Amino acid sequence: MTMLEIRDLAVSFATEGGTVRAVNGISYALKEGEVLGVVGESGSGKSVHALAVMQLLSPPAARVETGEIRFRGTDLLRLDDRAMRAVRGRQIGMIFQDPISSLNPVYTVGFQLCEVLRLHLGLSRRNATTCAAELLSLVGIPDARQRLASYPHELSGGMRQRVMIALAIACNPSLVIADEPTTALDVTIQAQIVALIKRLQRDMNLTVIWISHDLGVIAGLAQTVNVMYAGHIVERGPVRSIYKDPRHPYTVGLLGSLPRLDETVGGRLRSIPGRPPDMTQLPPGCPFAARCPQASERCGAGMPPVEDVGDGHSVRCWHWRDVVAARAA
Amino acid sequence: MSGDVLIEVRGLRTYFPIRRGLLRTKVGDVKAVDGVSFHIRRGETLGLVGESGSGKTTVGRSLLRLQEPTAGAIFVDGVDFLALSGAKLRQTRRRLQMVFQDPYASLNPRMKVEDLIAEPLQIQGVLRRAAIRARVAELMDLVGLPAQARGRYAHEFSGGQRQRIGIARALALNPDLIVCDEAIASLDVSIQAQIVNLLEDLQQQLGLTYLFIAHDLSMVRHISDRIAVMYLGKIMELADRDAIHERPLHPYTQALISAIPVPDPDLEAAREHIVLEGDMPSPASPPPGCVFSTRCRFAQPRCSAEVPDWREVSPGHFAACHFA
Repeated sequence: MTMLEIRDLAVSFATEGGTVRAVNGISYALKEGEVLGVVGESGSGKSVHALAVMQLLSPPAARVETGEIRFRGTDLLRLDDRAMRAVRGRQIGMIFQDPISSLNPVYTVGFQLCEVLRLHLGLSRRNATTCAAELLSLVGIPDARQRLASYPHELSGGMRQRVMIALAIACNPSLVIADEPTTALDVTIQAQIVALIKRLQRDMNLTVIWISHDLGVIAGLAQTVNVMYAGHIVERGPVRSIYKDPRHPYTVGLLGSLPRLDETVGGRLRSIPGRPPDMTQLPPGCPFAARCPQASERCGAGMPPVEDVGDGHSVRCWHWRDVVAARAA
Repeated sequence: MSGDVLIEVRGLRTYFPIRRGLLRTKVGDVKAVDGVSFHIRRGETLGLVGESGSGKTTVGRSLLRLQEPTAGAIFVDGVDFLALSGAKLRQTRRRLQMVFQDPYASLNPRMKVEDLIAEPLQIQGVLRRAAIRARVAELMDLVGLPAQARGRYAHEFSGGQRQRIGIARALALNPDLIVCDEAIASLDVSIQAQIVNLLEDLQQQLGLTYLFIAHDLSMVRHISDRIAVMYLGKIMELADRDAIHERPLHPYTQALISAIPVPDPDLEAAREHIVLEGDMPSPASPPPGCVFSTRCRFAQPRCSAEVPDWREVSPGHFAACHFA
């Protein structure tokens, strides 16, 4: 069953330097129980699209230009504030990158958890406290009952992120959006958090959107991957197909830029030349053309359409066949 | 590659005092670096990896005396660096440079690119104005900055371009050693690869020696000849990059390698992940014995009682573990 369907979503920001076209018409659907990885570099629009789903973009600077975000059939963009509040945090939970700025420093962890439980689920104070302690032990925090009285600054980065996860799953949501949840953490702590979310996803049958710039983390977690560049989904497909048989030159470049621990070292990294485009002055054609080894005149004219290449894998590139041929050669 | 020894560090300790109360009396120390020894050969790259709080940045800063070490010895070409002062110190310092993590915070926003790059040359006062101009142009070309960028300010550049400015500054005085402290950590993946390639090209052309400090073991492995792994102020293991990766001896190194995700879904599914329990203890009160013993899956009673020796387990492969 389709849980979330995004159609032709476009988001822009009015800034002093001009209009930033952060998301430029993206469409995809997410099935119940699916784990979707969204990869892309800074400014690719991966976080902004998630904030649009949660309706956390602040007007008037941010504007959803076009599109629909259908969650279980309802277009979230048409809901009023009150109706949206019943979805946000209740049916869709969100985990942010930086737990220290997302948790309120003047309230205890227990208070913040109980607040969510009482507001959304109408639990009594006592029941909320019991439930909060259960949640903390569910996310692997030792001495959960005592920890309810801790303030965020008394916890380590990994523990704070566990609290954020507890908050996100507190109301038993069906969809959880995790925006770079391990980027601020050390690798050994990242491994703990990834293992935790994998376990919760399985046990609670959660649908997850995991946003990350780290292709390694996504490889171990996701079933489906969206690769974003300059506000477009340039390639989308099953995780194996994306990593083993990428069709978009940007995906190929991104994978080539990474040194890999499982390969012998030798030679230079295949870096992508140049840098991402200025989002206030996007070119009329494919935004990757200026950095692309396959680019031709055609690429400057207009954004290529979404082309299905089979097995649920799609790409927006005129030259994807050349990419496949270049790899075979 | 394996030339003579350029830098020799012996028993380096850098402590930060903890002061309390009205009189700011010292009540303890944060032992950021607690007895590390290593050497760097001329022309090689030594990678230094560790998680936040392991002391890797403090090692880099102590090496340049940006932070005065508490104890230990540092030799630069056999000369006792910590004993130098005045003109002698300035002369030696010129040979040791640093590229910082944050290209946004480390460049003065009020200075033009040409002034940023010329600043070290002016401070050292070795060149005349015309010669400085020529040298700046040469450096910009070397790091891949367009010549017409010289009159612009740092904020007009992207992160990767700014890091090129930082590298040009570090190169200005023809150093022997460059300490790269998380020099690529704040950059996007595709830009990281550009900067790493640039650093490798410069090493080839100029015969530079690097201390490459980073938390990203896969990038460190790519660029380094040898790798040292730090945890809570101490080096746990030091070996050739392939040995560290293929035959890690220390349980911490093993856990660190297994925690790094590989961008390959099949391999990720098949790999064994060692998930370390808990967090790194505070360097203000490190555990007795082996500092890793509180999180080690092989820990024995001996580990929390006795500090393990720094042993050469096989030629060139050092580890601090009772059971390595």
